[in-house]
Amino acid sequence: MSLTLLLEKYDVSTEEGLQKALNEIEKEECEVNEALSSALSRACTLEGRLRSASQAYSKLGEVKNDAQVAADMVDKTAALARDVSAKVRQLDLARSRVAECQRRVHDLIDLRVCSAGVEAAIKAQDYETAAAHVSRFLSMEPGSVAAARARGPDPRTDMDAAARTLRDQLRIKFEEAAKIEDDASVERLFRLFPEIGRAEEGVELLTRHLAAQLEASLRRAGQSRSGGAVFADTLTRALETAAATVERLRRLLPPHGHMLLVQGLRGLQPTVCSSVRRIWSELAPRPRFRPPQDKPDPLRLEPALSELALALSRMQLYFNFLRRRPEVTVNEHDPSLSEEARAESVRVIDRMIAESDMTLTAQEHLAHYLELERYFLEESVNKAIKLSAGEDSGAGLVDDVFYITRKVIRRAISTGSVDGMCAVMNEAGAQLERAARALRKGLSVTPHDVLPLAPPRTTPAPAPSEAELYLAHLAEAEAGAEWTERLATEACVEAEAAVRASAGACDKLRSCAAGLSGAAASFRAVTELGVSSLRAALLPAVTAWADALVDPDSDVDEMCVTDELSEEAGALPAALDTLADTLRGRLAAAGDLLLAGLMDDLLTRAHRTMLRNTYDRRGGLATERRCRRVSLWAGTGAPSVRERARSLSAAAALLSLERLEHAPDALPPAALTPAAARDVLARRSDFKLEDIKRLKL
Amino acid sequence: MEDYKFLFKVVLVGNAGVGKTCLVRRFTQGLFPPGQGATIGVDFMIKTVEVDGEKVKLQIWDTAGQERFRSITQSYYRSAHALILVYDISCQPTFDCLPDWLREIEEYANNKVLRILVGNKTDREDREIPRHIGEDFAQRHGMYFLETSAKEAENVERLFMEIAVELMEQAKCKELPKYDGSLGPINGKTSSETSCCLRS
Repeated sequence: MSLTLLLEKYDVSTEEGLQKALNEIEKEECEVNEALSSALSRACTLEGRLRSASQAYSKLGEVKNDAQVAADMVDKTAALARDVSAKVRQLDLARSRVAECQRRVHDLIDLRVCSAGVEAAIKAQDYETAAAHVSRFLSMEPGSVAAARARGPDPRTDMDAAARTLRDQLRIKFEEAAKIEDDASVERLFRLFPEIGRAEEGVELLTRHLAAQLEASLRRAGQSRSGGAVFADTLTRALETAAATVERLRRLLPPHGHMLLVQGLRGLQPTVCSSVRRIWSELAPRPRFRPPQDKPDPLRLEPALSELALALSRMQLYFNFLRRRPEVTVNEHDPSLSEEARAESVRVIDRMIAESDMTLTAQEHLAHYLELERYFLEESVNKAIKLSAGEDSGAGLVDDVFYITRKVIRRAISTGSVDGMCAVMNEAGAQLERAARALRKGLSVTPHDVLPLAPPRTTPAPAPSEAELYLAHLAEAEAGAEWTERLATEACVEAEAAVRASAGACDKLRSCAAGLSGAAASFRAVTELGVSSLRAALLPAVTAWADALVDPDSDVDEMCVTDELSEEAGALPAALDTLADTLRGRLAAAGDLLLAGLMDDLLTRAHRTMLRNTYDRRGGLATERRCRRVSLWAGTGAPSVRERARSLSAAAALLSLERLEHAPDALPPAALTPAAARDVLARRSDFKLEDIKRLKL
Repeated sequence: MEDYKFLFKVVLVGNAGVGKTCLVRRFTQGLFPPGQGATIGVDFMIKTVEVDGEKVKLQIWDTAGQERFRSITQSYYRSAHALILVYDISCQPTFDCLPDWLREIEEYANNKVLRILVGNKTDREDREIPRHIGEDFAQRHGMYFLETSAKEAENVERLFMEIAVELMEQAKCKELPKYDGSLGPINGKTSSETSCCLRS
């Protein structure tokens, strides 16, 4: 606080004022003293810091100098390195030029040796050496040859001439060796062609030689005709010979020569084709007949069919064998070959097969086989239908047709031709449907008393012989559906296994097998027709039984012995038992279906009649007794029948009540609706309508 | 099980080279493969189409036209729901053979089968069979008629769609609730009194 302010604040004129001002001044003096002493105490720290800072500054100067020196050194090193690498590059270049020079010197030396040697070797008939010279010449750098040309006469002229001479010589020698069948020389000479850069020409010569040999052996194979199946045997022998030749060609080819193989196969195929064509036209079994005038027994065609199927399968095998050859070669010598190159060779082979005459022969062969097979199938089924229509032997149509179709389908599968299998499955489906139609005809007229269900209080007439036949036909139709389904599944599995076919071919096979399932549907329809005819035939008896079941006028006296009562009530279950026993031995599911249908008819009719009759208590009691027994009988049957019998029995129970008030207790849960129960109660002559209406159900 | 309500078998027949395979390829794959080789035996394609919101699966059997495959192709007639008989409008012999084909159809196919006569290759300049000749032939023999070009994709879709519609109508008439494995024919109104030409 300044003196002026002090003077203003305190009145210094008075002692007291002076004293206060003094105090104030003293207090301030103390504060100033404290501040001074603290400032003084910090002075030495500051001094220390200043010292260290000045030291650091001098050190920094040293570091800067060092860094400058280091940077200069790095620059120098870099410049040196650049110089060194440039020199290394120059050295490299020099070295590679030296190597080139050396190679050229070698080449030039070799070239001289080759030019000189090839002539000599050819003259000495040392073709291996000559071919080695040419091979060496061919593997030389073009630059070396150019360099040689620059120094003197063109060495290529000599070498080319030598190579041409060698090639001509090799061809001549090859043909001479081929003519005298000197296989060792042929193979030795063939191996020299790739060396002189003429692999294709070698393959062409070899193929021609092999084809000539093959032709001769095929003719020999075609001449030895013995045994039963001459055609199939001869064809098999011919194809085996051809396959052996293909294998020989494959072994002789240089590794990595899969495209050469394809070329060789192309060369051999015409010979195989013409041989197959010859065998086919000379030996194939062609049973001569002209339907409809001349119809041989189908059984007589069986050997021819088996032979044709066998021969077809042999051709398929040979095609598959050809298709796999490039793949086998590649896997042996060149497993790293690209997928594309593999696929290309397979494509070329496939095209060759498709365009070859043997494919045409196979197609004609298949057509011929299918024609015969269709005749065999149709005639065999005709025979079976005719047989089954005879007087005594009713059963067995489905058995026979199933046996025939299965045999034919299996034979078609054995050909290995997908189209053949499909066509035969289609035909087999048609024949199975014919068999179903024949059965339908047999089931169109229901004989009298076909089943032992006589009207009540009569004895059943003995079943006529047609009845057995009828039931047998029905059983056959039932079996036919099941067997045909099985045949379709079986055919599909066997066919797919036999051809290892593509997805498209499998779809085709499956679709044709589905045609067989179509025939199964026809058999099922026939079964249904038979069941409904039987149901219709039994309707009069069923109606009579239904009426008797709910008859209000019981003949049996209430006072009679219980035996008689029970006999009267048990008459229908006993008749039904007889019927069920008869069905059980003869039909499978169709029997159950028929019983369920009959019970349905019976219960419906009984219920309707009950609602038309009028009952007293005695009549009600008798009806209740009978219905209870039927309900018990139906207890083991189909659920729907069981429910209906239960509801009929419940209705009958209402008719047998002593007093109307007992109705709610007598009614089993969910057996009848209240309205239906009231309708039933109304049939009791002694129950009043208004009481029934008032009843709480 | 695939989701479809009806399955129909459609079989194409006719002389070699009239374009059966091209028609099928155009319809099923939308392609026109030039330089198509002769079909071997029978080829099989499937296409599912939609008619009135319902899926219809068409199983199309493309048969070889060459004589030596006849015994294979004939076996497919019986189970066909529709037969497409194809000729080449620029090649008289393919038209002249139609009666032979009809005889074969009479012999092997179901008499209720839906039959369609198709004159293919309308893109060609050198037409030899005028449209009305084909139309007359079809009418005389109770067949539907259509001219197509597989190359220009003309009427191809329509051909197969009309078949699908017609077959579905027939199936509904017969109250076939669903394809049940039965390849029996569909009773329908394909006889001459109701047949007419599909007019473009």
